[in-house]
Formats: sequence, structure tokens, C-alpha cells
Amino acid sequence: MEPLAERPFPPGAYPLVVVGSGPGALQVSYSLRHLGVEHAVISADDRPGGMFLRFPFFQRLLSWTKPYAPVPRGTRAYERYDWNSLIGEEPAHRAIQPELMDGSSEFPARPEMEASLAAFVHRSGLPIRYGCAWQATRAEGDGFVLETTDGEYRCHQVVFAVGVAEAFTPDFAGREHVAHYVDTRPAESYAGKRLFIIGKQNSGFELASGLLSWASRIVLASPRPAKLSVQTNSLAGIRARYVQPVEDRFMGGGVFILDAAIDGVEHVGDAFLVRTRASEGGAALDIEADEVIAATGFTAPLRDLPALGVATFGQSRLPAQTPYWESASLPGVYFAGTITMGAPGLKKNGVGGTGAVQGTRYNARILARELAERHFGLELTREPVAPGAVVDRLLEEASDAPELWNQKGYLARAILVGPDGPYDGGIVPLQAFVDGDGADGAAMTLEGDADGSIRPVAYVRRRGAISEVTLDPEPLHEFRASTDSRRRLSEALRGILP
Amino acid sequence: MAMTTDEKADALGRVALFDGLGSASLLPLGEAATETTFADGDALVIQGQVGTGLFVVVSGVVRIVQHGEDLARLGPGDYLGELAVIDREPRSASAFAVGPTRCLALASWDLFRRVDADSSLSHALLRGLALRIRALTEQHHH
Amino acid sequence: MADNEALIDELSGLALFADLPRPELAAVAHTLEEEWHADGQRILREGLSGTGFYIVLEGEVAVRIAGEERARLRRGAFFGEGAILLGEPPGADVVATGRVRVVNLAGPAFHEFLMRHPRVMYRMLQEQTRRLRSANRWSR
Repeated sequence: MEPLAERPFPPGAYPLVVVGSGPGALQVSYSLRHLGVEHAVISADDRPGGMFLRFPFFQRLLSWTKPYAPVPRGTRAYERYDWNSLIGEEPAHRAIQPELMDGSSEFPARPEMEASLAAFVHRSGLPIRYGCAWQATRAEGDGFVLETTDGEYRCHQVVFAVGVAEAFTPDFAGREHVAHYVDTRPAESYAGKRLFIIGKQNSGFELASGLLSWASRIVLASPRPAKLSVQTNSLAGIRARYVQPVEDRFMGGGVFILDAAIDGVEHVGDAFLVRTRASEGGAALDIEADEVIAATGFTAPLRDLPALGVATFGQSRLPAQTPYWESASLPGVYFAGTITMGAPGLKKNGVGGTGAVQGTRYNARILARELAERHFGLELTREPVAPGAVVDRLLEEASDAPELWNQKGYLARAILVGPDGPYDGGIVPLQAFVDGDGADGAAMTLEGDADGSIRPVAYVRRRGAISEVTLDPEPLHEFRASTDSRRRLSEALRGILP
Repeated sequence: MAMTTDEKADALGRVALFDGLGSASLLPLGEAATETTFADGDALVIQGQVGTGLFVVVSGVVRIVQHGEDLARLGPGDYLGELAVIDREPRSASAFAVGPTRCLALASWDLFRRVDADSSLSHALLRGLALRIRALTEQHHH
Repeated sequence: MADNEALIDELSGLALFADLPRPELAAVAHTLEEEWHADGQRILREGLSGTGFYIVLEGEVAVRIAGEERARLRRGAFFGEGAILLGEPPGADVVATGRVRVVNLAGPAFHEFLMRHPRVMYRMLQEQTRRLRSANRWSR
């Protein structure tokens, strides 16, 4: 490691500090640099990648990047087909992931994702101070002081992009016998073993599908039944990539899936006895296993932030956030990356924003813009939109905008009406638009329903009151071509547009 | 001429409270409900008395009186007392027959037994109450 | 599994769940999602579709119709069920007054939740009756 003085961002005072070097941190820093906002970036890791330095273990990523898409690589519209690349402002910084895939799958392998993030940093020359671990925080004056292994950093605002990858294992008897998902070893080391996996979320199924050809038997158990994403028609539930164990169970192939709570784990000779209790009926069942792994989830590594005043909620202890990803209880503290799941948005029909890269990269870009406007005096130019073109623009966005496709019901394209007429309000968090009391206008988003239909929904704001205009689905999602949608949208905007 | 179980179930089914219930839920209620005839001026319920059931007006008119003041008139298909059938609170108003009046009476303990056994009945009651609360809230607003 | 113990303990103190044995309470705790809202945050929005069911754990919320406050709800109180049951958008805004913690269940999951937990549904029935009574001038 280079001596302290040669690494960027030595300890000291900066207007803003970004903590982290995963996708969230990289995207927010890149976007801040693009807007000319001075800030420091510190990370405990020794290279970029965040969680992708370690996870997933066995399978490829859940998110695809299609080398061949209906639109040219590197365009804005292509982002919708590339869920892994960060969003660059120059051609060399865009659509990096497809360049690094060997063509054997549309899902990058973990090393390919790691390489893509490293390439993004390298090509954009993004400065990051590695090997600088954030340890403690305090409020001072009108800002914060971050204590790190290299010394103190003072700033007015801080963006924590620290991920949600701290292992969490619930408390039960014999917990000490149980390894956590994060400590999973190479697949070969589980050859011939009877495996018991506690937890039926994606991490549990990822292990199960990765170890199917190694373990002699696999039991997956948790109190609640597993839902499959193909059933919920959303990204909620076990993703299709990890469904093989479900089929193996059905075929009697040595996989067992239980809805049961864990009463305890006992060490018996060389093996373990897992004492389970069925969710339905409460019947006890003791199961022998050679290895027990808790794929029981993660928490956000917030250190002393809760003590400082950052309110958290839920089992993951996510920080509660405003629609613009600021701590809902401690102004000046912001979040980027996976941790922005703490701002779920309107949660219409229970569907919140995604914490995955394809969504959070847009959150980060919007956050950078918001920070620039709010705290750094930046006045971004608002592109005017001709009154006659408003409806067309909204429908085009519904058809093509990657932000709308990757953050359904969460991000929206806003067109607002100012004293000089309609202007592009940019991509905004939908909740901010719906709850805000700004100018009249419309925000267009996309929403999926339980049976898989995708509809454009326009939220029209008229003197602070919101009305919903739900448009029809189209077989090929060519919403811009729908005369009915055009008519209904025009009607809804009557009186708002000059 | 006495009502058959089917007719009683039918009459109950037209009540908003039991909106959406299939015959599987309504028939047992119809079976449990009893037909009562009231002469002009007869009291169905008296204000302040512990509520013991609900009444569905089959024919005739029922006058609702609270603290001596006429509040409303109920006709065929209208009902009273479904709150009492759930919480057995004292009747907040009295009800009197205007002219000869036929009613179906459903005792709270009979409805109770059915609610315990039939989740969709419980759900329908919940929905019915939500409807009434919503209607009242809008009424107060206007 | 001692998952979610704190939440289970919290729920066990609410009237809505007074009749549930611990295992059923644990199942309920797993189904509900915790949310934290700052002062002034709208939780339920008048006129917007796809809303959910909420129970107040901590703090206070105000029920507002056309900007006018109609009621305050505190720990143990629930809201949002009307819109789901009737298949219509809520008729009122519900806004956090001070910091508020709630648990939330998505609209599409509400029906199954009630069917799975009839004792909860019964408690809800009793509470709805209470609400209707107080909103009513007379009992039908």
C-alpha cells in the first residue's frame, strides 16, 4: 500500500464524504464528480467491488446483461438490458459489463462483475482512498466527524454506501455450531455431507443450488413458506436461477424443504442434530446433519450511527430514509447502494424499490443531483418541453426509460409546469412527487401487477392534489404507439398544460 | 304462511351486511333465523336493553326512535341490530312496528356460532362494517 | 427460532393479537413488515390505489379528510383495512404526527392473512363495530 500522503483524500475537512467502494458508492461518487461536487471517498476494502468481492459464492449473478439487445449497446435505452454496468456519462464509461463476459451466459459470474466495477473505476479515474476503515462517528458543529483507521474526516454531509452484508444469525440454542452464509467454503469441501440450511431466501437457495451436486442430502428450513419470483411476477421471492432445489425436492432427489422453526442445534458425535418445530401443527422433528449453515440474512453495518440518532427498522436494521435517501431522523446523513432499501417508496400493492444494482445505480445518480442542488448551490438547467410534446415524452419514457423499467413504481419521469411553460423535471422518486407540494405536472412510472401485466401509470399533480391515471398494458410494451393512452393522458393533463 | 329456509336465507342474503355470501354460509343462518310478526306499535327492541340479535324487515315498516325522536324508517330488506349481534352493547335506539310487520330475527349467539365456524362469513361482516363506516364518514364530510 | 423476538413481544401486547398463542404470533410477526416514519410523513394516501394495512406500534398518527383532522390513532390501532376490504382507494390521509413505527401488510396479502388468523379477524370485527358505533347516532 502506498504511503498515506500518496493515497487520495488524506484525513481532513471535506464538504462531503462517501463511505464505501461498492456499486452504490462508485455511482454516487462518479455522478458527484460529473456535477463538480467536491467530496472524499473512503473505503475499508483494498479494491472496488463491495459485496461482489465475495458474493455470490456459487452461482452467477441474479441480474443479467444481454450482449445482444433490441437497442445499441451504450445507449440510454440499452441500460434496461444491462442490469450490472454503472451509468457513465461518456461512452468509455458506459456498458462495461458486456465487454467482460465470455458469452457462455447472460448472467455475469462474480469475477466478471468485480472486473466490470474495477474497469469503471479505472477508466473514469475515480479516486478512492482504500484501506481506510470508518470506525466511529460524531456530530460536531453543523456537520460530522468520521473517525477512521487513518484519522479524522470532517464534513457537512456524508453518504454511507456500506451495503447490507453483515452476517445475521438469530438467537437459538446451539447457535455456536452454525456457520453463516458468509463463511461458506468452496463447494468441493461439502462433498458427501448431509447439509442443513437454515433460511429459505435467495441466499439459502443459492447455497442449495450450488451444492446440489456435492451434498448427499440438503434440508432447507425456515418458519415461512418460500415464494418463487415466477409466482409473484416480481423480483420478490426465490429467483428463477435458484429454483432447481425446489424441483429436486419434488422429484425426491435428496432435497427437503420445511416450513419449520429451529428450536436448537446439538453437537452429537461428529454430526449435529437440528431440532425443528413445524410451523403448521407444531410437530417436532429432529434432523441429523454434517454441516449446518445459517442463510438467515444480513444487516447493515451502521456501527454507531443508531446511537448518533439514525433511526433503523426491521430485522436488517435498515436506516429509515426520506424519499431522497436522507436519514429520516438525522439530516445530513445520506445513503446509497443496497442500503437504500430503507426507503421503500409508495409500496403500492406491497412492492418496494429494489436494492439491487440495476435500481440503486439510478438512486445514486439522483442523490448526487439532489446533493448538488441542495447543498452545493448547483442550479441544474431544466430543459423546456413544448406543450404539444408532453404526452409524447411521457409515453416514450414509459416505453423506454431504464429507470422506470428497473425501479417500477419507485422512480418516475416528471414533467412540471413552470411560469415559462412545461419543463423536464428529470427522474424523481415517485414518493417525493406524490407527497410533494411543488408545481403542477405529471410523473410517469411503470407498475407491474400480480399477474404480470405492466402498465404505465401517470400521477398528475394539480394544485397539490394527486390523481392516478392507469394506462393499459401493451403486448410489446410499445406504449408510445397507443392512441388510447395518448387520449387519456391528454385529458388528464387538461388545464395543467398551457 | 311460514318462510322456508331458502326464503329466509334469501332475505338475509339481500342484506348489505351479508353481501357476497354464498348459500353455504347463508343457509345455516337462514336455518337459525326465526320469523316474527309484530302488530302496529309493537317494540322490536327498546333503547338501553342489552342487544341480543339482528332483525331483517321482511314486510312492513319499522320506526327507529332515539330519546323520543324519530330517526328513520326501515322497510323490507333493511335491518337493525347487527352491531349488537357482534358486541351485545345496549340498544342505542328503540324500534317500533308501523302497521303489521314481519321480521326475521337472528340471535347473536346463533350468528356467533356461525362466525366461529365460517371465515368467509366473518370476512363479509368485516366488509359490511367497512362499507358503513366509509358511508358515514363521507356523510359527515358533506 | 428466536427470530424477531422483540417484534413478537411487541405484537403480543396488542389487543388485536390477544387471542393468539405464541407460535401463531411468531407467524404473524414474520408476515408483517416494520416501517419507520418521520413527523409529517403520509402513510396512507387519500385517493391512491394499492394501499396496505397498518398497525401502529409506537407514536401517533392523524387521520385527515380533505386536510381536516378527524381522529388520532395510537399504539394497537389499525388502519387501511377499509380500502382493501372495499376495493377502493382510502377515503382519508393518515399522517405521522411525530415519529411513528408501524407494521404493514400489503393489500393483496390481507385477505389470506385474515383467513389464516380468524381470531385476529374476529378482534377486528369487534373494533370495527366499536368504530361504527361511535360514528353512528343510532344503531341499526
